[in-house]
Amino acid sequence: MLLIKCPYCGERDQSEFTNGGEAHVTRPKNPELETDRGWAEYVFIRSNPKGIYYERWVHSHGCKKWFNAVRNTSTDEILLSYKIGETPPPIKKFQNRLKSPSGEPDVGSGNFAVKKP
Amino acid sequence: MTDNKIYFKFDGKKYGGNKGDTIASALLRNNVKLVGRSFKYHRPRGIYTCGIEEPNALVQIINEHNEPNVRATVKKIYEGMVVKSQNRWPSLKRDFGSVNNLLSPIFSAGFYYKTFMGPKGFWKNLYEPLIRRTAGLGKPPREFKSKSTHLHHNVDILIVGGGLSGLLAAKKLAGTNKDVLLIERENELGGILKNSNKVKSINDQEALEWLEKTERLLKNSANIKILKNTTVTTYNYSNHLTAIEDRLVGIEPDNKKPELILHKIRTENTILANGHIERFLSFRNNDLPGVMLAASFEKYVQRYGVVPDNNPVIFTNNSSTFSLLKLLIDRNCMPKAYVDVRDVKKIERETLDLLEAHNIPFYPKSEVEGCDGNNEIKKISLRTKKNKIIKIKASMLCVSGGINPDIHLFTQSKGLVKWDEKILTFKPEKSFQKTITLGSVSGNFIFKKIIDEVSQKLNFIDGANDLDLKIEVNGSEEFNIKEIWETKNNKKSLWSKSFIDLQNDVTTKDLTQAIKEGFDRIEHLKRFTTNSMGTDQGKISSINALGIVSKLLKKSVSEVGTTTYRPPYNPVSFSAIAGRSTYEFYDPERKTPIHPWHLKHNAVFEDVGQWKRPWYYKKFENETMNEAVQRESKQVRESAGILDGSTLGKIEIKGKDALEFVNMMYTNSFTKMSPMSAKYALMLGEDGMVKDDGIVCKINDNHFITTTTSGGAANVLSHMEEFAQTEWPNLNVYLNSITEQFATFNISGPKSRIILSRVFNNIDFSNHKFPYMTFNTFDYLNYKVRILRASFTGEKGYEIYVPPKYALTLWERIFYYSRDVDLVPYGTETMHLLRAEKGYIIVGQETDGTVTPLDLNLNWMIGKKKKDFIGKRSLTRSDIIKGDRKQLVGLIPLDKSYGIEEGQHVIEDKNIPSQIDKPIKMLGHVTSSYFSPTLNHSIAMALIKGGNRKIGSQIYVSTSNMNVIPVEVVKPNFLDPENKRLLS
Ligand SMILES: [Zn+2]
Repeated sequence: MLLIKCPYCGERDQSEFTNGGEAHVTRPKNPELETDRGWAEYVFIRSNPKGIYYERWVHSHGCKKWFNAVRNTSTDEILLSYKIGETPPPIKKFQNRLKSPSGEPDVGSGNFAVKKP
Repeated sequence: MTDNKIYFKFDGKKYGGNKGDTIASALLRNNVKLVGRSFKYHRPRGIYTCGIEEPNALVQIINEHNEPNVRATVKKIYEGMVVKSQNRWPSLKRDFGSVNNLLSPIFSAGFYYKTFMGPKGFWKNLYEPLIRRTAGLGKPPREFKSKSTHLHHNVDILIVGGGLSGLLAAKKLAGTNKDVLLIERENELGGILKNSNKVKSINDQEALEWLEKTERLLKNSANIKILKNTTVTTYNYSNHLTAIEDRLVGIEPDNKKPELILHKIRTENTILANGHIERFLSFRNNDLPGVMLAASFEKYVQRYGVVPDNNPVIFTNNSSTFSLLKLLIDRNCMPKAYVDVRDVKKIERETLDLLEAHNIPFYPKSEVEGCDGNNEIKKISLRTKKNKIIKIKASMLCVSGGINPDIHLFTQSKGLVKWDEKILTFKPEKSFQKTITLGSVSGNFIFKKIIDEVSQKLNFIDGANDLDLKIEVNGSEEFNIKEIWETKNNKKSLWSKSFIDLQNDVTTKDLTQAIKEGFDRIEHLKRFTTNSMGTDQGKISSINALGIVSKLLKKSVSEVGTTTYRPPYNPVSFSAIAGRSTYEFYDPERKTPIHPWHLKHNAVFEDVGQWKRPWYYKKFENETMNEAVQRESKQVRESAGILDGSTLGKIEIKGKDALEFVNMMYTNSFTKMSPMSAKYALMLGEDGMVKDDGIVCKINDNHFITTTTSGGAANVLSHMEEFAQTEWPNLNVYLNSITEQFATFNISGPKSRIILSRVFNNIDFSNHKFPYMTFNTFDYLNYKVRILRASFTGEKGYEIYVPPKYALTLWERIFYYSRDVDLVPYGTETMHLLRAEKGYIIVGQETDGTVTPLDLNLNWMIGKKKKDFIGKRSLTRSDIIKGDRKQLVGLIPLDKSYGIEEGQHVIEDKNIPSQIDKPIKMLGHVTSSYFSPTLNHSIAMALIKGGNRKIGSQIYVSTSNMNVIPVEVVKPNFLDPENKRLLS
């Protein structure tokens, strides 16, 4: 179970939170001006990377506040959490432990338990 | 009891054991060797180990719980315990299922996937009943109410394992400012110090004396908490671990006391000092009762004072069996033979000296070829140096195939392991979390090095104590092993088998066959053969399987890799996980203030979310649901009915920007709406699909109250919160759930106005003063009620909101004033019927998350002039405006009395072929269907492709008895389309 830091309450068990998908997907200011494609990008398309990315959480069994976090989806490390409206550092500022070309970290992904000879 | 014995029964026979005995040690004390039958072949099985790794000795405890698959090597006996062997019929000694052994060619690798494929019908009629009868382990437990509890810990350091390394770690931390939790699986600390005589002395004290002093020191350290009888089962992310404490060790289950405690531990650092597990070897009939792991044999002698056999044969490929040899000789139990795979030059001086001094038959560079005997070992067959076979009469064989660090928890923590060519096993290489491994789990099998290891790895901790210790061991300091996984065997008959997984009856031949069939990846091979998939997870054998597979594939073990170690570490009772969250505590029941009245009036309840809602009321004992619903709905249309709508979700929206917010959340426009009026409103997802419906009441531009469906209240509130907080944090708007602040009654029917005028005689309910879709708050007695003119049913109707405290009295008052008006209480089923007659949708019945307002012909609810609302843009997406989407229509069967079944397919063709070989074109499905007593015919609603264009045509609906019936497509509004009743 992850330990997640709510920017309002502090570190709490994952079971108190609900994941809200990718963060910083802004709703278009003028939806009627969007093409079908553009609108679908906002509604349906998410980046879902293997590695570090911004995502939303809500402290649903706590203060009920939404906030954003930076998580490495490959290792489930949560690197930062911050309030809605705050600007996070760019992805490249975070230490990326991913080294191999396939994106597999050398430890922690759970895909390979044995060190390669 | 004068003899201090604890008496228990095994398969009906009474035995005596000592206090602290496990079922296994007590049975061995009574010389019982046969304890179970194997999973597939029903072969006789005995006690193989002395702990959690046991693959064979699984038994059922007959008590309040009837617990199956209990490891006899773990469970302690209590007075009067009743134990039964499993998977045998009619008896353990004469088991009918053992015929499976002779059918074994059928049960080879992959038999689950091959054998039961056909012919058609065989599965249901033959295979499944047969498997249910003969396969498997124990019988399911009885239903019982869990009294287990959960406990949380937040500590600085968790030490898993109270053996030598764990104790040294704890000693290093005693008296520091670190909060330490030490968890020990057994009922006593000590581990290897208790289980063997490997450690001769510590600081010139006997090992057990040192243990006693150390335990006293730890107990007196305020910063150390010790949990015994507790097994860590799971190692999660963020150093979160769970452990199960058994509170019924050696005690009969008691109704009042918790049996298990699930400890949830969050720690800064985890020290894994959870030791090692000895592995077995494969040889012919390596499953026969009498074969036991060498270290387990030693543990029975040392810890339990039971010598399972006075003159066993010892078979080893490594140096660790020295201590067993010495222990037996010290007790004057001379082994029948000492068989070592290694060359005499590689064998330790200490061992050779001991063997020579006591004249013990010694076979270096030899191996056990196999064992023979009926229900237990009678003869052991050796292959000696020059390929000569020698038979030895003996009844027990102690085997050691090497030692595996118990890396299960370490790999669960996502740490990386590495194959060590010197000790021939996997050991931890790199931690992922703040995890430290100490002692044998880290691959350190040399006792003298443990002190250094502990000091070195724990010195980073502030204030850690110095360990000034000296350990003396029996035998050699070094660990030496020779690679062997299976011995060469002379196959004699079908009965001869060399096992690689004892619990799942997987043989080494199965591994070969699986590879031959192309399953050469270890994860595939595991699933195909079921190797290491038993409840023991192959603890004594999974590494052996990798060894064998690597030889077959001519690869290194590292290349073969391991399968993933998954939690839990060992079987966990569901009752521990459930804890107190069972029955009424699992999912709370929500009841409205009118609930007692419903009970008194024979309501039959329906669960809507957590709510208990009246489904229908039984007017007399034998009234069926159908009769009740027909009666209730007819009466609503003819006079009046009342529905307890208190379960409807209610959300209050306040703030300067409330109007703007509500305009965004719902499809309708609320800007021009006058204060104290209401609107039926739709809520969409951003994808344009209907999410919820309800009534929005506008008090003024800064204050709205909306209702939601009973099941959707929480979701709707969090949907609103999400947008308020994340998209428009600039809007001044506050949301509050007020569902429980008001009880709600819906009164509808032609007589509803008369009733209300009598109850609230100071209010003018005339159409002119109190028009449709308006509301107001009134003083009534000593409280306030809010009354809304609205309708769920298409009849003239009112909704009354009343504080819950006064609700029941008001409800009864309404009935009092309706004595001569025939007011009927009705439930949700009648509400559905009444709504269906009017073509009113029910979210979740007519919609399923793929239905837009356009599909429902609710275009009139969309505020066309609104620039934006959630989901608006999606309604003009090319796929959404396509004419052949499924649209809501009404259906009337040509035979008007025929009841259409909900959920049935709507099809165009009249004929369904008896043999269906190509898909039948499907138009859609029936969403709601009722017999309307008011219209006196059947009605239904359906979502069908291009439905709007099909109005007036004839199509077909399938039936559950493989028939079709013709129906006419109509507009989904069967009754009073001009809304005369509604507005009267
Ligand atoms: Zn919070």
